[in-house]
Amino acid sequence: MTLGSSHRLAAIFRSRGGRGSSLDRGWVLALAAILVAEILYFSLTVQGFFAGGSGLLSLTEQFLDIGTLALGLSFVIFAGEIDLSVGAIASLTGIVMAELWKAGLEIWLAVAAAIAISALIGAVNGLIIALFRTNSLLVTLATQFIITSTATALGGGSPPFGFPQSLLSYAGTGTLGPVPAQLIVFAVLAVVVVVIVDRSRFGRALVLAGYNRDAARYTGIDVSRTVVGAFVLSGFFAGIAGIMISAFYNAARDDIGLSLLLPAVTVVVLGGVDIFGGRGRVAGVVVATFVLGFVTEGLLVGGHGSLTATMVTGIVLLLCLVLKLQIDRHEGVSLGAELRRRLGDLFPSSVARSER
Amino acid sequence: MPLVPVTEPRVRLDGAPLRAAPLRRFLLRREILLVLAMVAVALASGLHESAFLTRSNLSFVAADAAATAVLAVGQTIVLLTRGIDLSVAPILGLSAVVVGFLGQNHNLPLGIGVVVSLAVGLGLGVGNGFLIAVTGLPPIISTLGTLSVYGGLQFVVCNAWSPHTVVNIPNSYVNFGNDNAFNGLAWLVVIAAAITAVVAVVLRHTRFGRSLYAIGDDAEAAYRAGIRVRLVLFCAYAACGLLAGFAGLIYLVHTGSADSTTGTDTSVNLISIAAALIGGTTLTGGKGGVVGSALGAVFLSLALTAMVFAGIDPIWEPAGVGALILLAVVSDRRRGGTGSGALTRSAGGAA
Repeated sequence: MTLGSSHRLAAIFRSRGGRGSSLDRGWVLALAAILVAEILYFSLTVQGFFAGGSGLLSLTEQFLDIGTLALGLSFVIFAGEIDLSVGAIASLTGIVMAELWKAGLEIWLAVAAAIAISALIGAVNGLIIALFRTNSLLVTLATQFIITSTATALGGGSPPFGFPQSLLSYAGTGTLGPVPAQLIVFAVLAVVVVVIVDRSRFGRALVLAGYNRDAARYTGIDVSRTVVGAFVLSGFFAGIAGIMISAFYNAARDDIGLSLLLPAVTVVVLGGVDIFGGRGRVAGVVVATFVLGFVTEGLLVGGHGSLTATMVTGIVLLLCLVLKLQIDRHEGVSLGAELRRRLGDLFPSSVARSER
Repeated sequence: MPLVPVTEPRVRLDGAPLRAAPLRRFLLRREILLVLAMVAVALASGLHESAFLTRSNLSFVAADAAATAVLAVGQTIVLLTRGIDLSVAPILGLSAVVVGFLGQNHNLPLGIGVVVSLAVGLGLGVGNGFLIAVTGLPPIISTLGTLSVYGGLQFVVCNAWSPHTVVNIPNSYVNFGNDNAFNGLAWLVVIAAAITAVVAVVLRHTRFGRSLYAIGDDAEAAYRAGIRVRLVLFCAYAACGLLAGFAGLIYLVHTGSADSTTGTDTSVNLISIAAALIGGTTLTGGKGGVVGSALGAVFLSLALTAMVFAGIDPIWEPAGVGALILLAVVSDRRRGGTGSGALTRSAGGAA
């Protein structure tokens, strides 16, 4: 490692450069093809799935909350961490917003305050992880439980409902022409995430910290601060998702976000983001949101139960990832390169030996 | 090795510092700490509310922990290899509903029910093992996928029978769940303890057991030392499934009911991981043991019951679990926990 480090760093930067490799771009295209194929399939076989272009657009309202959670989660996963508390944060944000509004606060002030609190919770997650240098899976597993309890205690007994029309039309079921308001919010958020990850110093630091912690440290990146930043963003996006869910159902419930955690992780992974960090493209996450969302909606509209849809979701995830693994292994030199990279992260000393 | 100087103290497999004196080392073992903590919690609750220390309450606490303990033992086997199994909840659920329906609608004898629960668990565990050891998908992704697949399967199974829920299990099942072996100690607890003991011996004294630790510690080194990494991983996930299947039977006879949301609605996955972590097993592999995990399950049950006795609203039960995990995490750090990354690449790609 000592001898090869400068060489390795150069290689890392050549291959990273803030943009994914051509392989990752290929995966996004493959996902897009799957998306087109499945929309065609459901349109042809399921009665009532294709209710015109606007009908298709309004179906997206059913899963954009998952997409928003997934966008926030990708920051954390890019950095090689994981955040299991996003679902719980989403629930809590909805409840906090509703309670503040019930207490007499203007609705948009309540929204802003609730989202600020969600970012703050993200910061607490990040700080515990950075200060104790401990495992984010553990910490967010723990905080998830604590946040859920808090949400139940605040609003579980009598779920607040009946929000003002302005919130519903801008964040819930409102539309702009044929386009659902939620889709516009999601599009804006997606662009923001792309810019942050691909075009900012923070984004590069994030991806490099996930790709190789030690290399990131040697290049002068403050890894701890980067990780905390990722968790703040994750909490922030979970907060926005929580507002979207509450506005869509016109009610804030304490248990509504928890069920979205695993679909959100599934979207990020299906989008081609390496679960161990450092690799992937935001565009993949965006497309995967629609791939998974339309599969679920297609099955639901076709009269299948939600758990059947869940099962198909799981099968799609596994098939796609086994496929991706095979592509990764067989494309060009990447079998050896990929293995060496994986080994390099796990066993730095053995790579140093082979480099000498 | 990283250029940063390694400052963490060297630790034994069970996590106690190497340099400590023998007595201190013994006292610092997670298992001993847990037992001391349990005694403290029990005494404190007993002083506050004497009903806590009655035989019936304590046996309730133990019986309630039996399913979680068996589940945590299985989870520990894969955690030791630096893996994770997120699908134990639907495996427990599927085993519970399959045996439940066979018992309720077809009067299946209990003995065959046990075999069926083990077979269901083993089959689903083999599915995980195949994905992880053969296709090489990371465990967290494989089991995230099978979590959805098995969860959906559980729903499908429940819809295939009528009525869709298990509410009337045969008397032999109920008796098995309630009968005491001796002195208020339920058979379920005795069986869970026996399973823990057997697995503990297997981990400590068999080639397979030592291979699990070796793979979790350094998969590449294990591979070069001649350990058949993929085969061991395959067996680890199959064993985890097998135990989760049996935990499903325990759940069924203990609660007397099962439906399409059994397991999934009570965050069983996360509780099993929490019990293992509280018991001193780490997510980074190679450290820990099943005795700690089983004790962790009992400790969780005891602490949550103590919360009820202390008059705390059950709403805060999850928060109690969360606080205990955080406590375990922080004390882990003190013992020299891991520094970087949430997940570490497992042996799947290396072998």
